[in-house]
Amino acid sequence: MINLLGIGSLFSGGFGVDALEAALAHGWTSPQQVAAAGGTQAVYQVNLENIADRTLLKKMRRADKLSKMAVLAAADALADSRIDPAGKRVGIILATAFGAHVTTFDFLDGIIDYGEANVSPTAFSNSVHNAAASYISSTLEIFGPTLSVTAFRFSFETALQLACCWLEQGRVDYLLVGAVEQYGEVLGHVSRARLLPPDDGRLQPFSFLPTYNVPGEGALFLLLGAAAAADRYCRLAAVTTASAVTDLQGADLVIINSDGSHEDERGYLATLPAGQLLSAYSPLFGSIMTGSAFNLAAGALMLKRQKLYAAPQQSNPHALKIVTATGAAALETICTLNMNCSGERAVVRLQRNEQ
Amino acid sequence: MKNNFVITGMGIVSAAGSDLPSSLASLASGTRNHCSVSLFPTTLQYPVFEVKADLSAAALPPGQRTLALLLHAVDEALTMAAVTGLSARRVGVCIGTTVASQLNDLAFYRSFRENGNPELAPVDRYLKGNPAEFISRRLKLTGPALTVVNACSSGTDAIGVALAWLKAGICDAVIAGGADELNHVPYAGFASLGILNPGLCAPFDSNRRGLNLGEGAGVMLIENRSAAAGRGAGSPLFLAGYGIAADAYHLTAPSPDGIGLKAAIGMALKEAGIAAAEIAFVNAHGTGTQDNDLVEGQVLAAVFGKEIKFLSTKGYTGHTLGAAGGLEAVFAAAGLQAGWIPASAGFIATDEAIQLSPVSCTTRITGSYALSTSLAFGGNNAALVIGLEG
Repeated sequence: MINLLGIGSLFSGGFGVDALEAALAHGWTSPQQVAAAGGTQAVYQVNLENIADRTLLKKMRRADKLSKMAVLAAADALADSRIDPAGKRVGIILATAFGAHVTTFDFLDGIIDYGEANVSPTAFSNSVHNAAASYISSTLEIFGPTLSVTAFRFSFETALQLACCWLEQGRVDYLLVGAVEQYGEVLGHVSRARLLPPDDGRLQPFSFLPTYNVPGEGALFLLLGAAAAADRYCRLAAVTTASAVTDLQGADLVIINSDGSHEDERGYLATLPAGQLLSAYSPLFGSIMTGSAFNLAAGALMLKRQKLYAAPQQSNPHALKIVTATGAAALETICTLNMNCSGERAVVRLQRNEQ
Repeated sequence: MKNNFVITGMGIVSAAGSDLPSSLASLASGTRNHCSVSLFPTTLQYPVFEVKADLSAAALPPGQRTLALLLHAVDEALTMAAVTGLSARRVGVCIGTTVASQLNDLAFYRSFRENGNPELAPVDRYLKGNPAEFISRRLKLTGPALTVVNACSSGTDAIGVALAWLKAGICDAVIAGGADELNHVPYAGFASLGILNPGLCAPFDSNRRGLNLGEGAGVMLIENRSAAAGRGAGSPLFLAGYGIAADAYHLTAPSPDGIGLKAAIGMALKEAGIAAAEIAFVNAHGTGTQDNDLVEGQVLAAVFGKEIKFLSTKGYTGHTLGAAGGLEAVFAAAGLQAGWIPASAGFIATDEAIQLSPVSCTTRITGSYALSTSLAFGGNNAALVIGLEG
């Protein structure tokens, strides 16, 4: 059994697991309006200027925003776990759907504006998909396995599945496993062209059709270990990906990852057991391809606190059984359910720590 | 048991050849199929190793060259494995890449800059172009699909992920390796770093002047031995160990002390349950850059001693980035089974700082284990131990 020992979070609502928990308790806040071609776009954007402790950021002045967000969240997860990595076998698995696309376009700017012989080597280096994991490794002095992976919608779950393998097989003692995505104007344009922005800035995760998309960005890391720690968050009981079979049996709560990243999310409706208690927290952080990492962190917090957090958007046209109020609850098992545009599913089963 | 995961199929395509037999023939004859860039317009003059094989059987639209290369290699691997009915078994796909993971279509982005409303077909191709997902859906597989984007060690790491999945019992078989097309963006990027060779690469040579970019795909079908036996298949080749470790040093330069590579090799040997002395030869990363070859050569000397037989096959394929680990694992396995390795193309004179020379002619190999190493941007290091029974 794999244990979730630390959470590091950075999203538009703030930095640190406390900020994530505060957002869960507070509920929905409106997105920012950022400049976009032909007007503005609602976005849940991270402002790195709000990071009070600049120590890590000073160590990576040449890194791009994606890498900075990843390093901050990874360091936060490590600190939250209270585990000193010195002398331990610690690894990193970073999941990202789109990687450093903003820096890639910066590099393309160089080709277009200055010619292929005069491009920036720094921009190229930072555009490589594993740059963010490399910055985590060098900044936090982690010498273990360091891997970057992508599987679009299931990037995070597949990384988590591999993390469980590596921990169970004893390849490492601890793993930082996380997801990071950055908002950029090009993907923002794709979002506006292909998906519906809500008039009121509110994601509607229980609508399923139509769906509404508000781009978000951020990084979420977990510190996982094979060693038990009763006072930490929870245990990862199972991770299944790309499977036609979905085991949600016995879950006290299912957190669905509907966030308007697809035009039609009715697959969730067909998958959920009748009468299943549901929630979805995408309205807090926005539409992020690997946003299921934030939903999983929310589940871990609820298992630890033995508390349900109300779904931040309560619009419920299908009369589902959703979490309508924040309050104490006896929770043993929480599942996160993610679906991609091909109808494939990924499920992570979290269990309460044995007391 | 360390030989539980058998390599029942291998497929390969690169400038060296359109399949494994033709590639081995190029290696045996010392043929280096370099050329000028023909795949995109460029003013840069660095030679490359382009694939000339006919990729039309994939029937993919333009803009999906990496997938066409990958499918070409997968078809060969599955044919060699004589496997059918994969969709009825638990089969995963893990593929390393660099280019296919990035939305870097220059024409699309130029259009976005100019009119703010580009044609979105390149985005659709990108979203449907995750290599592992593409193969999984094409073959209607039900196991996990994961694309490794660990820069130049991606292919090696993908095969290592396959080993973890098989050991965990998540899959009965995994299609694993790497694929990358030659692309304008990394071509310009590597040129900006000043590490492209204006001539032909010469890995580990004292006068090495940089790398040549290439393209290709290298893929293995790795099966749980009992599952393979269940369909009447088997193979003397097996995947014995995988190691991965970070330098935690620099974004583009390897750590001068080779700490990550030593750790990765040590981890792979440990998982294989063998000593360094049991390695018959090493198919090294050997890019032909000053920094890579110096660190890698010194680590190989420290771990295996100065008599170790080693080579780099990049003199035949160019540096194929995310595909390199897949190609080189296949070459290592094929060399182990055939009992010979080719000359390390381009090598002439020993670098006194390395004090180790790759093989300079076709060399007979005896032994049961080969090692394939990869070093990557970001300071990642990876190693695979491949075994041969009997």
